[in-house]
Amino acid sequence: MRPTAFGSSERVKQSKRVAIVGLGKMGLLHASLLNVLPGVELVAICEQGALIRRFGKNVLSGLQIVGKVGELSGRGLDAIFVTTPPSTHFGVVETILSAKLAPNIFVEKPLAANAAESEELCRLVEKQGPGTNMVGYNRRFAVTFGKAREVLDEGTLGDVHSFQAHAYSSDFLGVRSSSKARARGSVLRDLGCHAVDLAMWFFGELRVEAAEADAVPGKGSVDSVSFRAVTGDGLAGGFKASWCMENYRLPEIGLTVNGSKGMMRVNDDDLELNLKDGDEHRWHRHDLKDDAAFFLGGTDYFREDEAFVRALTSGSEVEPGFRSAAMVDQVVDQVEEKASGHGR
Amino acid sequence: MGDRKTLLVGDNPFHGVSHISQERAMSRGKDLANPGHAAELVMASIENGADGFAFTTSETTLSILRVIGKQERREPLRLHALVPNVVEFTRTAAVAGGIPGLARKLATEIVISANIRAVANGVKGVATNDPAALLRGLLSYEVSRIKSAMGRGATLVSISLHELVTDMALALNADWLFRTHISFARGLGIRPGFETRNFACLTTKFEEWGIDFAGVVITAPFNSIGFQMYPSKKECEEALSRAPQAETIGFSILAAGYLSIPEAIDYVSTLPGLDGVAVGVSTMQQASETFGLLSERLAG
Repeated sequence: MRPTAFGSSERVKQSKRVAIVGLGKMGLLHASLLNVLPGVELVAICEQGALIRRFGKNVLSGLQIVGKVGELSGRGLDAIFVTTPPSTHFGVVETILSAKLAPNIFVEKPLAANAAESEELCRLVEKQGPGTNMVGYNRRFAVTFGKAREVLDEGTLGDVHSFQAHAYSSDFLGVRSSSKARARGSVLRDLGCHAVDLAMWFFGELRVEAAEADAVPGKGSVDSVSFRAVTGDGLAGGFKASWCMENYRLPEIGLTVNGSKGMMRVNDDDLELNLKDGDEHRWHRHDLKDDAAFFLGGTDYFREDEAFVRALTSGSEVEPGFRSAAMVDQVVDQVEEKASGHGR
Repeated sequence: MGDRKTLLVGDNPFHGVSHISQERAMSRGKDLANPGHAAELVMASIENGADGFAFTTSETTLSILRVIGKQERREPLRLHALVPNVVEFTRTAAVAGGIPGLARKLATEIVISANIRAVANGVKGVATNDPAALLRGLLSYEVSRIKSAMGRGATLVSISLHELVTDMALALNADWLFRTHISFARGLGIRPGFETRNFACLTTKFEEWGIDFAGVVITAPFNSIGFQMYPSKKECEEALSRAPQAETIGFSILAAGYLSIPEAIDYVSTLPGLDGVAVGVSTMQQASETFGLLSERLAG
């Protein structure tokens, strides 16, 4: 038995056995974090690419590296992390469930390539019975958005009457060919889904009223999206997403919320509250106990994996689960449908 | 190491980096990415007491080095490089089709560079699936880029691995990566280094693996509010005493603009195990005031 990086041998005996499917950027990130989390034993990795697999065997000594998801069978796995491209999520998760490779599944966001696939995955996990499932909407674990949720729950803004959300990056700024952007899907499904997830976490279900999409680098990719939506309570929201923005060296997700008592602006870095009674507050991450036992890529990733492992250990549910993530995919589908008649 | 701390001018403002907010980075304006202006800021910092320039390899910083390289200097500029540029790599991977796309692009650049050592290590790495050879190939390529840009007016003092590489390797128990980097850099007569946000963990792991700290540069956040000091400020401070042979350089001493220079100095001066600090500057006035004060209080 291979000891985890930071766990004692006694702890390893009781550890949850976890595998990862997909050894790309996110696969490596989760593999690293899982290896430092107590109570976890990373036992296997599945990677389709032969070259990466060969290097993986030398870099990650002691781990089983296989080429097909089915080869993960018979390893007594407690959970599998799926970090392959979104277009493959459905097939991978379906295989995990049908072959009973592990009862608990974490899927990197988005849950699937469209709402129909997501819905089917929800049906399959529900049919399977008890198990923890989670989707990697890591922004929910960022301290600024956690604080924003607290502010909303406390009613500090009074009656909320509107909000605007954005998801911006410079990833494809100046990139002429759209083929690579196309490979990543639309900006809304790739990046904007974080803003949709946060809005639904804050305000509940959304129904899209109108949407527009643009292809900036070239025909065929969706690089910029804006849409209007309303919640079940009639709260109106505006969304903008683009991966061709200037000055967003790192992607940024943000929301501005307007209420009867004032306004709140929140993004990955800080939260600003301007109340009509003159009260003003600004919290940076520094002020919000942005702690983690190990830092890699951002504290929210550590907390996200920690929450999944905690749920796994206690046999409880954790959010965002498949059902919440499927609702995000429904909104994205609605946007694509509404936008199909506009400037694509 | 003695009480006098090494003072380095950092390059974050030139890349539009602010760890407090992107809004703040954007507000600094585009002048900072202009190599001529950035070179002036670096040299102003040196004139006001900085001992060297700490930078991540990128087209921006290599251009700055080219500008500085053309200037007459009494003493060579001391350079502390950080490789690879993970943010640039991540963006490249995003537009080039993930890790395989990034690897193809990097391999093409290395071949074009015609750096024999880099090409040989790269070929060996791929042929034998040897990650250590690939790492040596990448390092050779990065060193050749820096040396070709810096000219004769500078000395490459240290070459450190970026925090994402260091911290991922720590988490995955990849001690081979640390050993490979240390041995490769020493072979070139350059001091090996590691940037990390998990300083306490790194010192623990080095002890566990029996890696000698002597001559190794470790760069990690140190500030009075514990910003980005993982797992905690207390554990990072305690870890300083466990690595007395290393040269530990503190970054984020201003907690990304949250603290004033005097506040930052008050704190770092209480850490005898901290051998130096790296601070970025955005204006000529900042260069003069910041390094004036740092050299008066920490390097006097």
